Amino acid sequence: MMKKMGMSKKRKIGGAFKMVLLLLLACLWLVPILWLLVTAFSAYPGMSRTRFFPEHWTLANFSRLFFHPDSILQYGRWFFNTLIIALFTCIISSIFVLMVSYALSCMRFPGRQGIIRFSMILGMFPGALSMIAIYFIMKSIGLTNSHVGMVIVYSAGSGLGYLIVKGFMDTVPTSLREAAKIEGANELMIFIKVMMPLCKPIIVYSVISTFLGPWSDFMFARLMLNSGLSKDWTVAIGLYNMLDKSLIGQNFSAFCAGGLVISIPIAVLFVIMQKYYVEGVTSGSTKG
Amino acid sequence: MRKKALALLMTCVLSMTALVGCGGNAGGSNETNASVSSGSGEIQKLDEKAAAGAIDNLVANTKDTVQLTIWASEMDQEFTQTLLDQFKAKYPSVKFDFQLGIQSEAGAKDAVMADPTAAADVYAFADDQLIELINVKGLTEVSTAYTYDVASANSASSIAAATYNGKVYAYPMTGDNGYFMYYNSSIFSAEDMVSLDKMAEVAKQKGVTIGYQKGGWYLHGFFDAEGTGHYAELQSDGSTSCNWNDQVGVDIANAIIQYAKDGVLVMADDSTAAEAFKAGTMGAVVSGTWAAQSYADALGSNYAACIMPKFTAGGKEYQMTAYLGFKLIGVNPNSAYLPWAMLLAEYLTCEESQVARFQARQLGPSNVKAASSSAVLSDVAIAAISAQGAHGTLQRVGGNYWASSESLSDILISGNPDGQDVKKLLDDAVDGITAK
Amino acid sequence: MAEEKQIQKKSFAETAFARYFTDFAEAIVRGDWAVRSSLIVMGMGFFKRKQIVKGILVTLAQIAYILCFVLFSIPNLVKFSTLGTVEYQDPKINPLTFEVEQFPYDNSFLILIYGIMSLFLLFVFLLFYVHNVKRVYAVMRDAESGKHVNTFKEDLRQMLGRKFYVTLLSLPTLGVILMNILPLLVLIAIAFTNYDKNHMPPGSLFTWIGFENFTNLFGGKLSLTFGYAFRKVLTWTLTWAVLATFTCFIGGILLALLIESEGVKFPKMWRTLFVIAIAVPQFVTLILVRNFFADQGIFNQICQNLGILDLCKSLGLVSKNAGFIPFLTDKNWTKVMIILINIWVGIPYQMLIATGVLMNAPKDQIESARIDGANKWKIFWKITMPYILVVQGPALITDFVRNINNFNVIYLLTQDVYITQDAGLYKSNAKEVDLLVTWLFRLTQEEQNYKMASVIGIIVFVISVTFTLVAYSRLMKGGREEDYQL
Repeated sequence: MMKKMGMSKKRKIGGAFKMVLLLLLACLWLVPILWLLVTAFSAYPGMSRTRFFPEHWTLANFSRLFFHPDSILQYGRWFFNTLIIALFTCIISSIFVLMVSYALSCMRFPGRQGIIRFSMILGMFPGALSMIAIYFIMKSIGLTNSHVGMVIVYSAGSGLGYLIVKGFMDTVPTSLREAAKIEGANELMIFIKVMMPLCKPIIVYSVISTFLGPWSDFMFARLMLNSGLSKDWTVAIGLYNMLDKSLIGQNFSAFCAGGLVISIPIAVLFVIMQKYYVEGVTSGSTKG
Repeated sequence: MRKKALALLMTCVLSMTALVGCGGNAGGSNETNASVSSGSGEIQKLDEKAAAGAIDNLVANTKDTVQLTIWASEMDQEFTQTLLDQFKAKYPSVKFDFQLGIQSEAGAKDAVMADPTAAADVYAFADDQLIELINVKGLTEVSTAYTYDVASANSASSIAAATYNGKVYAYPMTGDNGYFMYYNSSIFSAEDMVSLDKMAEVAKQKGVTIGYQKGGWYLHGFFDAEGTGHYAELQSDGSTSCNWNDQVGVDIANAIIQYAKDGVLVMADDSTAAEAFKAGTMGAVVSGTWAAQSYADALGSNYAACIMPKFTAGGKEYQMTAYLGFKLIGVNPNSAYLPWAMLLAEYLTCEESQVARFQARQLGPSNVKAASSSAVLSDVAIAAISAQGAHGTLQRVGGNYWASSESLSDILISGNPDGQDVKKLLDDAVDGITAK
Repeated sequence: MAEEKQIQKKSFAETAFARYFTDFAEAIVRGDWAVRSSLIVMGMGFFKRKQIVKGILVTLAQIAYILCFVLFSIPNLVKFSTLGTVEYQDPKINPLTFEVEQFPYDNSFLILIYGIMSLFLLFVFLLFYVHNVKRVYAVMRDAESGKHVNTFKEDLRQMLGRKFYVTLLSLPTLGVILMNILPLLVLIAIAFTNYDKNHMPPGSLFTWIGFENFTNLFGGKLSLTFGYAFRKVLTWTLTWAVLATFTCFIGGILLALLIESEGVKFPKMWRTLFVIAIAVPQFVTLILVRNFFADQGIFNQICQNLGILDLCKSLGLVSKNAGFIPFLTDKNWTKVMIILINIWVGIPYQMLIATGVLMNAPKDQIESARIDGANKWKIFWKITMPYILVVQGPALITDFVRNINNFNVIYLLTQDVYITQDAGLYKSNAKEVDLLVTWLFRLTQEEQNYKMASVIGIIVFVISVTFTLVAYSRLMKGGREEDYQL
């Protein structure tokens, strides 16, 4: 009895210590985010060197983003462009990934091993380098400076990213598919009616990750959208250009406001789908 | 059959070149003579009747919508848009579709070089990019002027800045790119500002600093000062020749390090300097007209500007120099509507547009008449840059100049913190600058 | 065992390769007139067997390819060996009439891309062609031996059944060819040309120069600068990849353990707090952090006020007369900062993954060890950690390769901020903090030096592939996977 009391006391102290440590760590992780948050509400347009918290608070940065676009700052347009590109990319990429995963996980055919090996090696070529060739290929079919082109760039090669989803599908017992087959279902029906419901967590995972790719991509967008027309930009390019040397003094807090706004959908997605995400990514990566 | 035709064609061409070859020599040498004598390039100005005829012909031949993309800097968007609208109104019978894009003049070269065929039809750029833009065929030669006499209306130095191998490749737009000193007139008198040594003395006395910006652009002010015999010049192969690593150079480097160690010369950029001016901790800074407004705001009634001072190195006094730059409008030869692009470029740079640009944006004109108006002359910063014109050089250096000179400026203005050997620093820098 | 398997595989591959051609020859020799005539009109064999729709489709594909070959491939392939000879000429404008005269010219880059596309198409067509003849022969044999010959409808049904993988894989494969394989081929080709600032299409032509770029990198005339820069950048790339991978990996596990450990309340809330940090896109956080730690930035101001600057000075970490701590401008400070910031960016992800992995840890083993009297640390080191390593091994390898190519962190933190003072580096556009990928990117964007960028890209590729293959084979040799398989 006494011993147990001592244990629980010790455990309580240890727990408190751990909580304090966690609190410190969390602070460390959230300081830059806090800076982003408070600066977004700062009335001083530039970057203050002396104050962490703004002197005067305002909502003007947000209203400037959404209600007072000028020839450079057209945040509403950028947000809309990014959303459209990310949505279409997300749909196409997710479908591609699921298709490839199903073929490689659930079907056996000549050349399957070869495809798996080849795709692994192909995935290792540095994207930063192939970007230039991709740019010229897209240009030769007239799809630079176009959002259709952006969607193609982001989603066309997505089939290569099947590893995690395939890993997940590998864990689904074959007996389920066999049973469906005996009942006369063809592969298409098994794919849609049997596999898809079972793969819910991994579908959520791949939807999130394929949405986030274009949502926060910067390099490809900068290369592909080179007409200099603000109305074509995505949020990433727009925000980056807002911090051009000659503009940083008048745009820094607006930049923070813009960064904050674009983070909100991701934060919400993450928090809601944390469970699926953990489930999906781990079962995929552990067995892949 | 085809082969035969080809062979026939070949013989024809060969015999023709042979024929031309006889007289060719004389013509060739004539041409070289001409380009040597003209030096700063010639643009044929059509008389009014011929020009009107050409434009009428163009208007009559333009059936479809004229699609042009124009690049102007972040700050120039609104103003350029008004000019575009005015241009449209001048030709009511023609349909225009103008797209105004954002591209800083400083970054125009990178954007054009990445893909000249995707670049804007008409774009503004800084004159130091001229040669590289010509090399990638990003500029159309300006051989004829239609609406105004481009060559004589603009200052000779601005035309020289747009000229390469005797041909003019762009239309001068502004003539105020360059640097000089802004200062707080309650701390320094105009006499103090003549010499950096005097400034340093006063600064120490009053506990203020003098801001110097880093980078090779500003470092040129010290190293290529008048009387040093130094140069950093672009060669025909794209490399840069440079002789900073002599004894004079070592003296200059030591002088800068000394100023920095004394705590007088400090590294600054436009935003830190404006804040320091406001706080009263800085007395003067080197910068250009683009920052005039923020310095005027920061200094209030003490706002003043003047040319770069003299300084002493190795016991000798040298007058500091400055890079002078012009912003030019170029026409992309890949444009599908080349004639319209050229007319638009002329319009964006004509006298009225330059006057309007000064009024809207406080940018100093390259147009002689516009520059001599009393409004322009009374502007503190533009008066200073005009005066600096007497002690300035055109910026013509190769790509390898920048990284090396920026590193050097970084070390010198921070007072050589690691105590590296100065001669070696200069040798390294010159090595980097002159690398092929 | 494994080696034996490999040998078997090799001989299998060889025979498969040989069989590919003998099968083709057999089809031609033993096939009837319909099979042979499908050498010329590809649908003939199908027409004979009443597979009319299939025959028409195949023939149409053949006609389309021939048209494409004549109109597109031939003009480009003719110029492929030189990459073009007709120089660009400025358009001429008649000053009096304003009429513009344009001159045709060769664009080396387009010839290169279209040439490679043509070769690729040709290769695919040949495969299709040979396959077609074999198919037709197979159908003939089926018909002769009285087996059922599929109707078009049955063929279609098969695409959703036994051959569903073809349906599934065709579109993604097309995408991968367009976005991955073609660019790869183009870039490999560029490494063998002189495509740089002085040979930039459309203004000028470039051409093949063989292995010159490679010899230049490893010992030719450029070696003084390029070879030097390459060695330095490579060293830092590898150092970075190792440090970045392991710090994040271990940090993620520790954080997950801490959150999951006894006595910690609200684990979900803690996780969410860390996840918020990664909800902000990287380009925002990194640009933000870069301004946060700028020489004249807010953190330096704080350090100055708290006396940390003076502390650093007295410790010799910062030079005596510096007015700030050069977080992102001094080479050593920057390297440390980059790694720290990367930990900041990377740990939340790793924490999420580690949480999931720990949930699946072998509970019965842990339980029995506990009953045997093993303490917590022993259990962690003897059971949990090996389990995590086995499970996470492949992910660790991909993380390592991803870090070799970690463009965002390095580029967004150091571009326009960090300036090198090493002459040997800036002469070849490199910086101490550059990874191979950022170096090659800046070579293309700032110097238009595409040829050297391609060479570096190929080297990065070779390094990544070699590392992965070696690491995987090691991992598989361990063979301990089964112990933990659920």
